[in-house]
Amino acid sequence: MLRIVRLLIACALLVPFTSCSQNISRKADVVIWHWMTDRQAAFEKIAAQYEKETKVSVLFETYAPSEVYRDKVRAAATGKLLPEIFSTLGDKREVSSFINAGYIADLSADMQTGWKSHLFDKPLSQNTFPEGNEWKVKPGIYGVPIDVSAIMIYYNKDLFKQAGLDPKNPPQTWEAFLEAGRKLRAAGIQPFASGFSEGWLIGVFANSYAWNMLGEQGILDTIKGTIKYTDLRWLKVYQVFADMAKHDMFASGIATMVNKDAERTFATGKAAMALNGSWGVNVYFSMNPNLNYGVMMPPKMSLGEYPMRIFGGEGSSLNVNATSPNKDKAIAFLKWMTAKEQQIQLAQETKNIPSNQEAAGGLSDILKIFAQNIKNTFESLPVSESWQVNNVINTDMQAIIIGEKTIDQAAAEIQAEKMRQSGAK
Amino acid sequence: MNKAAKEKTINLLFILPAVALFSIFSLYPIIRTVQLSFYKWDGIATTMQFVGLLQYKDIIFHNPAFWKSMANAAYVTTLALTFQNGLALLLALLVSREIRGENIYRTIFFLPPVLSGIVVGLIWKWIYDGNYGILNHFLTGVGLSHFTNFAWLAEIKTSLTAVAVVHMWKGFGYGFIILLAGLQTIPKELYEAAKVDGADSWQQFKHITVPSMIPVFTVVAILTILGSMQIFDLLYSMTQGGPAGHTHVPITRIYQFMGNGEFGYSTAMSVIFGCLLLAVSFIQIEVSRRMNK
Repeated sequence: MLRIVRLLIACALLVPFTSCSQNISRKADVVIWHWMTDRQAAFEKIAAQYEKETKVSVLFETYAPSEVYRDKVRAAATGKLLPEIFSTLGDKREVSSFINAGYIADLSADMQTGWKSHLFDKPLSQNTFPEGNEWKVKPGIYGVPIDVSAIMIYYNKDLFKQAGLDPKNPPQTWEAFLEAGRKLRAAGIQPFASGFSEGWLIGVFANSYAWNMLGEQGILDTIKGTIKYTDLRWLKVYQVFADMAKHDMFASGIATMVNKDAERTFATGKAAMALNGSWGVNVYFSMNPNLNYGVMMPPKMSLGEYPMRIFGGEGSSLNVNATSPNKDKAIAFLKWMTAKEQQIQLAQETKNIPSNQEAAGGLSDILKIFAQNIKNTFESLPVSESWQVNNVINTDMQAIIIGEKTIDQAAAEIQAEKMRQSGAK
Repeated sequence: MNKAAKEKTINLLFILPAVALFSIFSLYPIIRTVQLSFYKWDGIATTMQFVGLLQYKDIIFHNPAFWKSMANAAYVTTLALTFQNGLALLLALLVSREIRGENIYRTIFFLPPVLSGIVVGLIWKWIYDGNYGILNHFLTGVGLSHFTNFAWLAEIKTSLTAVAVVHMWKGFGYGFIILLAGLQTIPKELYEAAKVDGADSWQQFKHITVPSMIPVFTVVAILTILGSMQIFDLLYSMTQGGPAGHTHVPITRIYQFMGNGEFGYSTAMSVIFGCLLLAVSFIQIEVSRRMNK
């Protein structure tokens, strides 16, 4: 009797755990997990169209914010519960872990069938692992870009005019940029806002100047350790933040400002310039449809030997679950989704730059500038810096902004972390 | 089946669900966390590399940022133990005097603790904001124009204290309820007898209230220490550890390492942090036991 009771209890406790496994992907033929809350309606429309055309059901599921999404994908991977299509939202090192663990499908063969030729090269190269990559991933294309983005400086034309600046000729040089900041501040306007609390955005800005001062080879040599972070050219990169702080260019609280707050600050005219991605067009439109703005490249430093580069290329990319029984259906859907007609529709509804080059014709003037500058985005490198070193760079740039550290102190700390990580490897 | 065996079975039936849930959701994660701390693992790969105590060694001897975050948490905890619990005790003493509307006060004071930490953090972030914040608006309104664009959360001198203030505002209600419950269990006869003997209010507080409340103070202190050392949601929504890492606490560091694919390392951090919290709690219990003798 006692045994039977024990057995029944054990079965009752196990039922919920056994029944929940593997059901997640069966809500539709193709389930897609994404984090782009602002695009859910457009995605649902696309999914409905696809089902009507092919009888294949597609379900877009949103999980936000992006950190929560990222954690969910990781947990689902270890639990073997990934949907047909997802994104890791991580850097190449993280993507490589997913690939090496067998969670992401190699799309090289499908791409060779003409799919690849329609897409922008830059975002595609960011989803490509070349021969001899440091992460030991089998060479191939592992992701599909669904849009393209770039990060530039937005400027408020009305506030520029108010400060006596020419809105048709935004500053092109570093000196002119600082002078513009001085004039804006004198007119009682905060010159510059950005989500510098989020390490990646401050890193993006620093990296633009690293490309300007060191070029691709210089950056590669720094990652390899042959150029030190205390090198004079790196000091010039850190000087960017010191100069801006000295000229009182930063909006109040920039060191703990998340990008959503920075977007609000710019959209409401509380700051004249903002470093932000091309997605900002949609965000600013939703916050202030009458905002009169332009975009410009971060101004080049006079000592910079190399062309100015910006962060960008892939906006959002999606990966296909290599273990899904519906893998082929997932690939077919992504092919259809990145075809010209669907990309035009998505670009219009979400105000993003399409990943299909043929669909980029009808963009707004601002988005056209972003699209033209995709060629100026950072090149995809075969190696990457450790996240700990990047983290110290980002933190120390914040420290320079708030006046806690000098550029020499920051350089020494970054190099020390580099040495520590090199030793750890 | 005899009567004793039947009773044993029924007893087992009652505790089995709780034991099962505890094992699945508490015991297993703890064991797994300790196990993972000996491995280098990125949270995704199908294989892990055994590294023994290497990660512990690195955290203890080569990770000053982790210990700095521990000091930040200790600072918040010290403020909470003094000001938050001081306020909770003061309010509990006032409400225990059988005043009118006692239940209304209880409800009001207990509202902040039941609110979501993230929501509270975001609301206070707006209050502190240098561009839109109502706090600066108020300060400027009373003539303190120096604060017009002062970013409370982005200044090294004010950021951690500003977060600690919100943490205390959110947390004092717990202490208030527990202390009030404790005060109401002290027999009134003790105070009446003390009054007859000529004791004034301060003497009554010192010689009746405080000794009677030591077990309650212990509970409140332990809960405050555990709650404050593990502060996360408020900090994450208000500063994300900034400016320049000055408001990082152990949990945000653990989360940061985990988010960057250092699962093994972050679990080792968690084990060290958990052991320290356990040690502090045991010391607190022991001290209180001795004081109670």
